[in-house]
Amino acid sequence: MESVQIQQASKKDFDVVGKKVVRAGAVLAVLGKPSYTADIATGDLVYVKAVRSSCVHATIESIDTSRAKLLPGVLAILTSKDIPGVNDAGSILSDRPLLAEKVVRHYGEAVAIVVAETHQAAEEAAMLMDIAYTPLPSVTNPNDALKPDAPLVQERSNLVKHMKIRKGDVERGFSQSDLVVENTFKTEFVDGLPLETEAAYSYLEPSGRIACVCSMQNPFDVYGKVVKILGFEKAKLRMIQATTGGGFGPKSDETPIDVAAYACLATLKTGKPALAQFTRDEAMIIQCKRHPFIIKNRTGVTNDGRLLAWQSELIADTGAYVSKGHLVLGRAVFHCTGPYEVPNVKADGYCVLTNNTIAGSTRGFGSPQVHFAAEVQMDLIAERLEMDPVVFRAKNILRPGTRTLTNQRIEDPGLDMCFRKAVALSDWYHKRKQYEQHNKGTSRLKKGIGIALLYHGNTLGPESGDFATVHIAITPDGKALVETGLTDFGTGGMTSLLMVAAEVLGLPYEDVRMSRPDTGRVSDSGPTVASRVTVIGGRATFEAAEIIKNRLSRVAAERLACSESSLIFRAGNVYSNDKPERRITFRDLVVEAADRNVELKSVGYYLAPTTNWDEETGQGSPYNQYTFGAVVADVEVDTETGFIRVGQLTPVYDAGKVINPLGLLAVCEGGSIMGTGYGIMEKIVTSEGVIMNPNLHTYWIPTILDCPEIINSSTVESAGQIGIFGAKSIGEIPIVLPAAAIANAISWATGVKIREIPMTPDKILAAIMNVK
Amino acid sequence: MKDDKFTVSFTLNGKPCSVDLKGNERLIDVLRDSLDLKSVKEGCGAGDCGLCMVLVDDKPVHSCLMMAGQIRGKAVTTVEGIGDNRTLHPIQKAFLETGAVQCGYCNPAVILAAKSLLDSNPRPSRAEIRRALSPVLCRCGSYVRFEESVLVASGEKS
Ligand code: FES
Ligand code: FES
Repeated sequence: MESVQIQQASKKDFDVVGKKVVRAGAVLAVLGKPSYTADIATGDLVYVKAVRSSCVHATIESIDTSRAKLLPGVLAILTSKDIPGVNDAGSILSDRPLLAEKVVRHYGEAVAIVVAETHQAAEEAAMLMDIAYTPLPSVTNPNDALKPDAPLVQERSNLVKHMKIRKGDVERGFSQSDLVVENTFKTEFVDGLPLETEAAYSYLEPSGRIACVCSMQNPFDVYGKVVKILGFEKAKLRMIQATTGGGFGPKSDETPIDVAAYACLATLKTGKPALAQFTRDEAMIIQCKRHPFIIKNRTGVTNDGRLLAWQSELIADTGAYVSKGHLVLGRAVFHCTGPYEVPNVKADGYCVLTNNTIAGSTRGFGSPQVHFAAEVQMDLIAERLEMDPVVFRAKNILRPGTRTLTNQRIEDPGLDMCFRKAVALSDWYHKRKQYEQHNKGTSRLKKGIGIALLYHGNTLGPESGDFATVHIAITPDGKALVETGLTDFGTGGMTSLLMVAAEVLGLPYEDVRMSRPDTGRVSDSGPTVASRVTVIGGRATFEAAEIIKNRLSRVAAERLACSESSLIFRAGNVYSNDKPERRITFRDLVVEAADRNVELKSVGYYLAPTTNWDEETGQGSPYNQYTFGAVVADVEVDTETGFIRVGQLTPVYDAGKVINPLGLLAVCEGGSIMGTGYGIMEKIVTSEGVIMNPNLHTYWIPTILDCPEIINSSTVESAGQIGIFGAKSIGEIPIVLPAAAIANAISWATGVKIREIPMTPDKILAAIMNVK
Repeated sequence: MKDDKFTVSFTLNGKPCSVDLKGNERLIDVLRDSLDLKSVKEGCGAGDCGLCMVLVDDKPVHSCLMMAGQIRGKAVTTVEGIGDNRTLHPIQKAFLETGAVQCGYCNPAVILAAKSLLDSNPRPSRAEIRRALSPVLCRCGSYVRFEESVLVASGEKS
């Protein structure tokens, strides 16, 4: 590891890294070539449809399949009794059955699957299933679920996890404060909503092995679960990631396990290729949501604006099964003060089971909720102190030498750099004056500008297992093939890996290709979550490429009669730095190496340093490095309709060394838009656990007309400690801040206090009426 | 029963085409399943997402809301008909240059909406671009990239 770091540090000029390249797979996408799961499903297909619970919490008395079976085209109906292996589709904890056994715990839980010759027959048969339920008492409010007499959702306490931070003496901090401000914030269930719904296609290979092509983020997680569900030995299943039409968290969670298992069970039962794909409403009911949080923040400050004490209570509703809820809570608690130094902190986070829809991993993973609550809290305090929010923040941000709420020392100047750049680019002080003037002269359309800051612990950290494996093979034509179980689902991460491989091997980017992630070809590469492909996967790619480069160097040094250390690999050529006329093309070198039986395949492995913190106090260093960011929002509020127009967002991120600038730009803009939707539009509406708006005409996500008119996205570079060439995570992060920045802008423009998202026109209007 | 079928002829990506229909097929199913045009995606089946967009007589149409029988005598265009590996359509080229592709799922629909706009309005303003692309959702949020792509393809920007 040390040697790799030295080489990282010495790398200054890049040929491929940091340049604009065409994303891997982009040509297929613009040509509309068949590459998504349902596009490539062929043969004499059978279709699978789940039969889902109409109850929120109930015992299953009986399942009568007789009417459904009679429908022409129905081939099989499977219930939990027909599962050959283990009935377990929970991703980390084994708390969720693939098909409910005696009890259903949330609306839409799968009870049986129907296999039929046509999609229509499967759907109709599902409706003809007669399932008798006896309702059980249910609980859908997390506060109620924590009461001692609450109905139990599972055979365990409804409290899944209690996470704590204990730093300094928070009571003393409050008593020394000149001002204590307390607010309660609320966020809602929202849906990550990848536009391609969950889909899996399975078929029998001539060897008897089942191959399953699936839309997913983590082929090895899905493989591991489905193998057990089928009761197979490992070699009898192979899981391949198809081009995946969006991930955003749900596709790293449990629903890909469901569809893959449905398809494979159907293939096992019928011997035929099978397709299982969610309809839109099914996806919106079943796929894991972003956790709704209730967050109480109590903050003590001095009159001159120094934070002295911060107390947070966070309650996260994880629904009927835990999914990744305990880990989401962890990340939330570890970031609950926002990116500020506070000497005394006490935080208590609770992850709670209810009979609601399952909440799990969703882009940002607990960070958007707590940053909303912390950053709005900061503005509410600034207002009480009659201080400009920028001035107030500047007194408290995490600068080199400061310590986070876990007492981790920060040496990185990234936040300060982002903050200054965002203030300058957005023309903050001038706009504040200008809008103030404007607002005096108008009663209807008020203009506002607001700011929010973030830090985001990189990669898995306390979620553990932060490793990656990448294989590289040099093909006889002198090109490189990169293979891994890490995936791309629109993030651009895979492109970054190709760029790293090209950089190390001195190949043009076009000469490095990737293959589809396939558990039959590569070893476990860890999950593609936590924005870790570039940062961690990049290190494994570097390692794999270095191994091959070293082997080729030996051959080249002999051939060119020079020392290995003098060799330069560049633009498809290998030459001696001392005598550049001594050169050989990469391709000829590969031919020569092959003649000498040099192995031109390698496996690179990287494991991030383990992070440490104390369970009881939360003190320690939960993350190896942090990404920082600042977002300024310019908005216009129509005080007669409550309608918000986001005119401009100015997001600035410290992503460390930028590997793939075009990919980064798309992710920054895209996350800004998704974050705007989170702030002002999106809400899964539930009534006693039943989802009322599982469709795109009543659950609105941003269209191009809701997109801010200008997104002035930029970066600063403060190198990360562990990321490849100093890179930091970025994929999830741009979704985090827009809600807070927009809320602060609206508050400043209108005087309303916002403590809940989404800030829909009805809520804004009601709040404005209140102020008047 | 053969006689409950009828044949519909139309132009598909510039070539004559006929299909046998029972009468209740949606255009999207005929395009994807009978004619193997997999660029056409279904995102909702209810007219909300725009992913099933195709051009009928050069106008954008949601193929999940149109019955296949309605295309008799008309010209249908999908992304398969506007470019290939060797000759990308200018809007496809612009997508690659500006980094507009994220997960790619919405791209065929957006490209068709953009093509239809550029064919009728070669120098559209940003507002006109947004209006023309508004029926198609992109959850990856590539909207600004799409806007840039149309400006590049129109020669407004390079
Ligand atoms: S599939 Fe969504 S509009 Fe047609
Ligand atoms: S690129 Fe993913 S939905 Fe548009």
